[in-house]
Amino acid sequence: MKMNFLKTATGLLGGATLMLSSSLIMAAPPVQEIIEKANQASYYAGQDGRAEARMKIEDKNGRTQTRQFTVLRKDVEGSDQQNYLVVFSRPSEYRDTVFLVHKKPQAGDDRWLYLPDLDLVRRIAPGDKRTSFVGAHVYYEDISGRNLNQDEHQLVEETDDQYVLKSTPKNPGEVEFASFQTWIDKETWLPMRIEYTDDEGEVYRIMENAGVEVVDGYPTPMMMRVQDLESGGQTIVQFRGASYDLGIPDSVFTERSLRNPPSDWLERR
Amino acid sequence: MAKKQAFVYLGSLGLALSLASLPAWSADDWAEEGDWGSDWEEPEEPLLPFRVGGFIEAAGGAHIYSNPVVENRMDKEYNLGEARLRLEIDGDWKEIGYSLKADGLADAVDEELRGELREALISTSTGPVDWRAGRQVLTWGTGDLLFINDLFPKDWQSFLIGRDEDYLKGPSDAIRGTWYAGEVTVDAVWSPLFQEDNYPDGDRLSYYNPMAGGQTAQPISDQASEPDDFPEDGEAALRLATRQAGIEYAAYGYWGFWPEPNDSSKVAGGGKLEHPELYVYGASLRTSLGSGLFNAEAGYYDSRDYDSQQANMTPNSEARFLMGYDWELVTNLNVGLQYYLEWTQDHDDLTTDMAGEEYRQLLTTRLTYRQWRGDLVWSLFAFVSPSDEDYYLRPSATYRVSDALTLSAGGNIFGGENNYSFFGQFEKDSNLYARARYRF
Repeated sequence: MKMNFLKTATGLLGGATLMLSSSLIMAAPPVQEIIEKANQASYYAGQDGRAEARMKIEDKNGRTQTRQFTVLRKDVEGSDQQNYLVVFSRPSEYRDTVFLVHKKPQAGDDRWLYLPDLDLVRRIAPGDKRTSFVGAHVYYEDISGRNLNQDEHQLVEETDDQYVLKSTPKNPGEVEFASFQTWIDKETWLPMRIEYTDDEGEVYRIMENAGVEVVDGYPTPMMMRVQDLESGGQTIVQFRGASYDLGIPDSVFTERSLRNPPSDWLERR
Repeated sequence: MAKKQAFVYLGSLGLALSLASLPAWSADDWAEEGDWGSDWEEPEEPLLPFRVGGFIEAAGGAHIYSNPVVENRMDKEYNLGEARLRLEIDGDWKEIGYSLKADGLADAVDEELRGELREALISTSTGPVDWRAGRQVLTWGTGDLLFINDLFPKDWQSFLIGRDEDYLKGPSDAIRGTWYAGEVTVDAVWSPLFQEDNYPDGDRLSYYNPMAGGQTAQPISDQASEPDDFPEDGEAALRLATRQAGIEYAAYGYWGFWPEPNDSSKVAGGGKLEHPELYVYGASLRTSLGSGLFNAEAGYYDSRDYDSQQANMTPNSEARFLMGYDWELVTNLNVGLQYYLEWTQDHDDLTTDMAGEEYRQLLTTRLTYRQWRGDLVWSLFAFVSPSDEDYYLRPSATYRVSDALTLSAGGNIFGGENNYSFFGQFEKDSNLYARARYRF
């Protein structure tokens, strides 16, 4: 009898604990988990992937420029490292220009640019990440992702379908923003909007994702826009032909591909 | 007080409302196909079996000082005035790729129309080896506008009068094999016939002529002979490259001739200037360091025909060394610094002042400032030699008006203590230029 009471009491207590913890689960997960899931959804969908992209770059006077390229990506197994290969097809000035990134979030990225007119492989200094990627309002860092450990993250708001995070750089001298705020979709974990704020507290740069489609099981934004509120210009990026888990070999992400792009993997399948 | 609080409340309500309406707004406002919806370039349905592209370019440049020796010879006060049409064709046929780049020029300085073949090659792969055969531009090494182990032909004249920097690299007629052997990449290049540099020749630039004892514009090439016997006057170059723990290492070899005719030992006997035999062995490394890139390169120039009895007339062997660091000083401002050393091996044999120091040192700075996402680029490249007491400045501004049109302007400014030093001799050749290029 005494035993039974104890059992019941433990059971009740256990149930209460369970209820308590499940109500905790109902609440927001820890910030670290949100930011890691968002990073995963944005940059690590599948073991590898490809997509064609084009960018419309508009300045404040409405003049436009265009870039078109194909991106291949593969994760390095058992790490957060990734390799990217970007092969340009237009405009003619950039045709056959190839950009190779060995992304190492813990150590700093290795980046190379191949200039076909000179048959020259130029290595890019690791420092200049927050500068224009081939003339767009998109930064190099927007393409391959920013190391999560470079910022302090804090959950500032939770709506029915989004988490709102505020991120503050640990080394403010390294970046042009004072902080940025990210709206993350609860269902897909994709960051749908990022606002960058300057020292005066003004939002001067906005990055947005849209047109999310499920491709090979992974929610994928097919549009992206970066607005530069200071200069009044913006870049719209449109993706198509996205696919994941293709089995792209490691050899695609080596120097050979700079001079001799891997057409088997660049062509749409 | 209460009023103020109400405003704050309204303000945050407004913010919340605007946030709530965000997704709908973004989807409607821009995330449609829009007016460029069908504007993808479609590689699947080309009109021609190959790709065609190119540009037209107009370029003009003039001396900033009076330079009578060139002006009297050319009967012109400008040294660049040309319209250029570049045509580029490339495609694939079965496993073989082909590429053709040809320039047609209307040249007001030489008063002629001429064609220049920049590239005409076929390429293919056999297993781990990529092959390219034909006319091609070749580049390697780690220096910025300083070349130690890259002895492929340079067009210094184009570089010094204000043509696009791409034209500094002249084409080679060669076969290149690149073997990607896992950790190591091996490049081998063979040119059946030696190709000299297009060095400042008196054609458009004056230079110091030790024979004449002063500034002349007499073409050197008239008095020089090139090695031109096939196949013994060919050139070979080799590179072994590897990357270990993020550091790029390379070893180089070159077997050929000095790129300039710097052997005057036969001139006194009525002969011509010659390109003596040259072998070069070297190595380089390149790595990221801090937020920038560090590179170092060395090469030993084994001057095969050096004769200590005629030390002033035959080129000495040299050891050359450079190191550089390139980093982003502030956002969009890149700085590149280089130190370069040329060590003349048997300097004691030389008996003329004009031979220069035993250790010729050079410092270079490249400042690049990008505005408007790189649409406007300001650049200053400076060569300064403390040992020769001379300098060469290359300021330029490039404005990318659109995907098709680029405008650029700049200068080549030389000066120095002595009229015979490497850069000092070109003081009177200092020039300003402007170019407009339209791509299609």
